Amino acid sequence: MTIPLSFYIAVSAGLFFIGCAGVLVRRNAVVILMCVELMLNAANLALVAFSRRYGAIDERGSVFVIFVFVIAAAEVAVGLAIVLSAYRNRPVIDVDEIHQMKG
Amino acid sequence: MIALVWLIPAFPLAAFLINGLFGRRWLGHWTGVIASAAVGLSALLSIGVFLEVLGGKEQTVVELYRWIGVGDFSVNVAALVDPLSAVMLLVVSVVSFLIFVYSNGYMAHDPGFYRFFTWLSLFVFAMLILVMADNYLLMFVGWEGVGLCSYLLIGFWFERPEPYLAAKKAFLMNRIGDWGYTIGIITIFLVFNSMNFLDVFHRLEQGVAQGVLVVICLALFFGATGKSAQLPLYSWLPDAMEGPTPVSALIHAATMVTSGVYLVARSMPLFAAAGPSLEVVGVVGAVTAIFAATIALVQFDIKRVMAYSTVSQLGYMFLALGVGAPVAAIFHLATHAFFKALLFLGSGSVIHGLGGEQDMRKMGGLRRKMPVTFWTMLAAGGALAALPPLAGFWSKDEIVAAAFLNGHLVLYAIGIITAVLTAFYVTRALWMTFYGEPRDQHLFDHAHESPAVMTLPLILLGVGTVVLGIAIGFPPEQGFIHRFLGPVVEAAGGAEHAPELATILLLAVVSVGAGIVGIGIGVLMYVRHRPDPAAVARAAGPLYRLLVNKYYIDELYDHRIVEAARTIAGASWAFDIHIIDGLANRLGWALAISGQGLRRLQTGVVGNYALTIMAGLLLMLVAYGGYAAGIFGR
Amino acid sequence: MRFDFVEPVIFFVLAFGVIGAGAAVVLLNRITASALLMALSFLCMAGMFVLLGAETIAAFQVLIYVGAITVLILFGVQFTKQGGDRSYALFFQKQYPLAAALVAAAAIPVFLFSFYFSAPAPQPGGGDIRPLATSIFTDFAFAFEVASVLLLAAMVGAIVLTARDEQEETARRRR
Repeated sequence: MTIPLSFYIAVSAGLFFIGCAGVLVRRNAVVILMCVELMLNAANLALVAFSRRYGAIDERGSVFVIFVFVIAAAEVAVGLAIVLSAYRNRPVIDVDEIHQMKG
Repeated sequence: MIALVWLIPAFPLAAFLINGLFGRRWLGHWTGVIASAAVGLSALLSIGVFLEVLGGKEQTVVELYRWIGVGDFSVNVAALVDPLSAVMLLVVSVVSFLIFVYSNGYMAHDPGFYRFFTWLSLFVFAMLILVMADNYLLMFVGWEGVGLCSYLLIGFWFERPEPYLAAKKAFLMNRIGDWGYTIGIITIFLVFNSMNFLDVFHRLEQGVAQGVLVVICLALFFGATGKSAQLPLYSWLPDAMEGPTPVSALIHAATMVTSGVYLVARSMPLFAAAGPSLEVVGVVGAVTAIFAATIALVQFDIKRVMAYSTVSQLGYMFLALGVGAPVAAIFHLATHAFFKALLFLGSGSVIHGLGGEQDMRKMGGLRRKMPVTFWTMLAAGGALAALPPLAGFWSKDEIVAAAFLNGHLVLYAIGIITAVLTAFYVTRALWMTFYGEPRDQHLFDHAHESPAVMTLPLILLGVGTVVLGIAIGFPPEQGFIHRFLGPVVEAAGGAEHAPELATILLLAVVSVGAGIVGIGIGVLMYVRHRPDPAAVARAAGPLYRLLVNKYYIDELYDHRIVEAARTIAGASWAFDIHIIDGLANRLGWALAISGQGLRRLQTGVVGNYALTIMAGLLLMLVAYGGYAAGIFGR
Repeated sequence: MRFDFVEPVIFFVLAFGVIGAGAAVVLLNRITASALLMALSFLCMAGMFVLLGAETIAAFQVLIYVGAITVLILFGVQFTKQGGDRSYALFFQKQYPLAAALVAAAAIPVFLFSFYFSAPAPQPGGGDIRPLATSIFTDFAFAFEVASVLLLAAMVGAIVLTARDEQEETARRRR
């Protein structure tokens, strides 16, 4: 039996919200970045799944996925640069401790 | 020449700009020359225009440009050149020119010399616009302009408090009148759909409701009372004597104050069609005339006497308009311009010769020391007292005659009594100044005749005073001026009367008699001291005090009206401070407080921010889900 | 023998891998373990792409995510390691209850809603690279260019952000 579309969407939804929870709960900045990557992955899965909805792959969904890849990569690079730069300032990696922007 | 009519105001405007921009640093006393030359050119052009109108061009409209054109409302900057405006142009520009020349001498030592000529040039410009306009709105521009210049020039010596207070008073009273004028012209537009004189008069023939016309006329007349110092808006004029004497002569005798008369004369078709309004005009004029004359009887400042005299003579002009003799009113306007300007300039000459003294109680016996001034003032005084064959006689006689012949016997009586009073006070003023023993020997010793630049205009005005009446007003009712102006102003308002020669002569005799009686009383009282003026003053104690204090009108106005205005202003101020400002302040305070509150959202903890993002995401999901499921409506 | 059962089995294995590894990322205390399990999640994701017939996407997934991004994250982990892993008290975070509530509130309806979608048509058909490439370089050429500019900006940004200036270097060395 073929896997119905809904299963893929369910997986995507589950992964997305797991990532969500991770972003909210974890305190280590790098781990937060990892969870963001998970969320992006989930989005990609949903995109590809939907582009398969009507038969042959609709290439526009795939194009969008390519762009999501690009953006995710750029975002990780810059995000890590920021984290490292902040870490150099004060060697703290707990985001709860970094609240100089208060007010 | 008529096509060049717009050059007439252009010259004074140019003088104003040149003197204003360059006068202070570079032009020094040349400002006077420039200004006088400009007005002189205007005068020449006015003569040319006058001759051309005389030659037959009865009514021309010279348009300069299209000013306002909004839907129905269309007003152009255009000049109406007809006999009435030609006469006004002539009077204004010629008298102005003579006064300008005189001022070169009078103001020679004043540090504000250039400023004086700047404002005076602007004034002439505005006045010319006023008399040339072909519609009520453009006339209003000139109207306001002369009011402004009056303010600037009354308060010329602003270092002292009296001049600027007087200037403020003049301007405010003018403004109150202007309110009336504005209501008048707005109503005119609403009723006639145009502000153009010719359009309005033309449409008048098609019939307009009487009540509306009365409103319009009374509103316009209210404006005229402000400008021409009639009751109730007259008290600014005596105070305006704080300004330099040439200003008093030009603005407050010959030109600005006559604009009210011009307004009514120009609007005669409207006034004639609105019956009761002419009555009002006549009554107000007559009452003002006698009222002011009584005050002039007891004043000691030579300029104040002349000021009240002006108010009184303007009252005569309005009386003339009211009884249906507009030609007589304009005639008197012209002759009055000459002899009153002469009286003022002569007074200025006396003041100048005495080094600034204006109190007649300190003068006396000056006729030998200042002969030219004396003889010219004598001529002018005689004209004011309406002695034939001087100019004043012809015009004033015609006014009272018209009153009599048109059945306004009460007004006629008032006119005759006022003539007696006028003759008396002018005799008193002249005697106290020029005859008798000098009351202040020190002043007398230093007195001297004025320089030629001042006495020459006096002489020229004197010539005008003597010959003008005969030249244009003889024989009565059929003189040149009647034939010239008649068709313009008598169009719908002229009263028909063809009196017999005997009646005319009788009336003339009565007028002259009134004048002689007045002079006689004056001579008796002041030369022979029978009765002695001081004794009379003591005997008539309360009445005398009433007159000297000008009927306490100023105090009345101040107490009632000004206080009321101050109370309202105070209330408005409180409203402004507490409610309007309070609103703004509270608003600012509220924003600041909410800002403080919102600041707490910025915790600086990244986790909180992420949480907020997720919460927003949840909200969006709910909204979208609800929308898709039809819960929130399509 | 019918091999119909293969696809669902593979799907569930992969699904378990994705979700499980994801959960592990969130729950584990040891960051290095988290990073590596994230890589496993990405790998299983690539498998799911293949199942859906998007082989090129799967290839890119492996290249970019499992390759570049995982390495980057690992670098990040190494550079910011505190001396000795402190064990984070995961369950006493400041906003844990609220976060859990929010996520649950959102996740459950969405999860249930996802079952609304019906079955796809059979036969993935493969060969998706040609339409993909044509699409990118014609219809979405502009977006493609913009994406490359974005990458350039990210590169430059990363370099600038982490550049050390001379004085700081010498100061550090002297210490």
